[in-house]
Amino acid sequence: MKVNEVPQDITYYEGEKRACYALNDEGKYVIVTSTGWSAEEVVNGLAVAELAANLEETRKAVIKGLKSPLVYHMEQCQMTPEILAKTAGMATFRVKRHFRPEIFAKLKLSVLDSYAKALAVTIEELKNVPE
Amino acid sequence: MSTEITAGGKPFVHHHSAHCESGVTSALFRDKGVEISEAMIFGIGSGIFFGHLPFVKWVGLPISTFRSQPGAVFRKAAKRLGGEFVTKRFRNPRKGMDELKRVLKAGQIVGLTTNIYWLSYFPNRFRFQFNGHNIIALHEIKNGFRVSDPVLDHPVDCLTEDIERARFAHGPLEPHGFMYYPKEIPRNPDLRTACIKGLKDSCNMMLRIPLPIFGIRGIRFLAKRIIKSPETLGFNEACRQLANIVRMQEEVGTGGAGFRFMYAAFLQEAAELFGSDDLARLSQEMTAIGDVWREFAVVSARIVKQRGQAQDNFSKAGGLMLVCAGREEALFRELNIVVRKLKA
Repeated sequence: MKVNEVPQDITYYEGEKRACYALNDEGKYVIVTSTGWSAEEVVNGLAVAELAANLEETRKAVIKGLKSPLVYHMEQCQMTPEILAKTAGMATFRVKRHFRPEIFAKLKLSVLDSYAKALAVTIEELKNVPE
Repeated sequence: MSTEITAGGKPFVHHHSAHCESGVTSALFRDKGVEISEAMIFGIGSGIFFGHLPFVKWVGLPISTFRSQPGAVFRKAAKRLGGEFVTKRFRNPRKGMDELKRVLKAGQIVGLTTNIYWLSYFPNRFRFQFNGHNIIALHEIKNGFRVSDPVLDHPVDCLTEDIERARFAHGPLEPHGFMYYPKEIPRNPDLRTACIKGLKDSCNMMLRIPLPIFGIRGIRFLAKRIIKSPETLGFNEACRQLANIVRMQEEVGTGGAGFRFMYAAFLQEAAELFGSDDLARLSQEMTAIGDVWREFAVVSARIVKQRGQAQDNFSKAGGLMLVCAGREEALFRELNIVVRKLKA
């Protein structure tokens, strides 16, 4: 890759820049900043869109009363039940059980508190999903 | 490039790097007065690698890695350059944070292993649950720390709770608050011996691991899987997996073309160090290989974007990867011979 080939397609990094190694005119490697590459946007966009679509589906399921808001907040942090269980200091099967709305509704404050801490939200936020 | 002052009153120059771990390691060496570039650390620490782990899933997709495992570059580079480092892990987050503050107060900058999701200064679309990101804490500020993240082109502020969450995140490869800082670094490290060790190790890792999923064999393994993937997985799932491979190559802590350009930069520096024309030629070849990897990324992105309308198809993408495998094999075989002629 030459210096003039370093992609400057889009301002994809929200104002940040990324360092790339490229050859200058004398054939020496230098670090050049890149603002983004369209190929990267396609593949990363796919992954981000997939996460967003899953999250939206979960949100609808929570509003319908099929899942507990805990699932939504867990997915927002891109965690799996195993990671959440470890972060909150609980057994995985217990976390999975709390995905059922009727069980989640009866949880003690102390349990909710450890979830809220693990997911970096307040207890009020944890009990609800955004409209 | 910008300068910061550490708690010890020493200036710290922030260098923008392509890879977090080699960037942090070279910054720690520089802080002790040893001028060493990021590419050099990457090469000495044998950062270049390939592996495809179909049975280890990350967000539901198999992992392909273009580098050695997190932590290895730092460990190997430190050892080969004769640097003595203090490394610590903690069970108790409070103790981990107290120790960090104590060391920072003493004027020492500290390397930290963190989870990238909890570092809120990152653009949102780069925040994924990944426990192998390295940053440098420079000094304490009100409610937080001044942090030099080598992947960004300027130092940033980070909240204490973010740092604590990031250092003590759970999941695969838990950092356990891993922190490291130099204790004793030789004034003039023996770069030549270190380079030879790094080069030999890289050759071994790419050519001689007797498992079909690592090194050159790993590239071939993955290329064949890509070619077959539309039949075995169905078109949509194959697209997802292909996109994921390109993401691993270009996005997740890389510097373009899966670190091939950075390794070429290292070979160039090594060529100057040894005055070796062979290494200079191999550096050019590595650049050419990096360009093929980039072409693979472009073709793959087009497949993913246009969903089979264009002529680009999976066998073309896989074919490009086979080209990479063939050329890299030739390169490392030659490097393996060249390195044995170098005098330390």
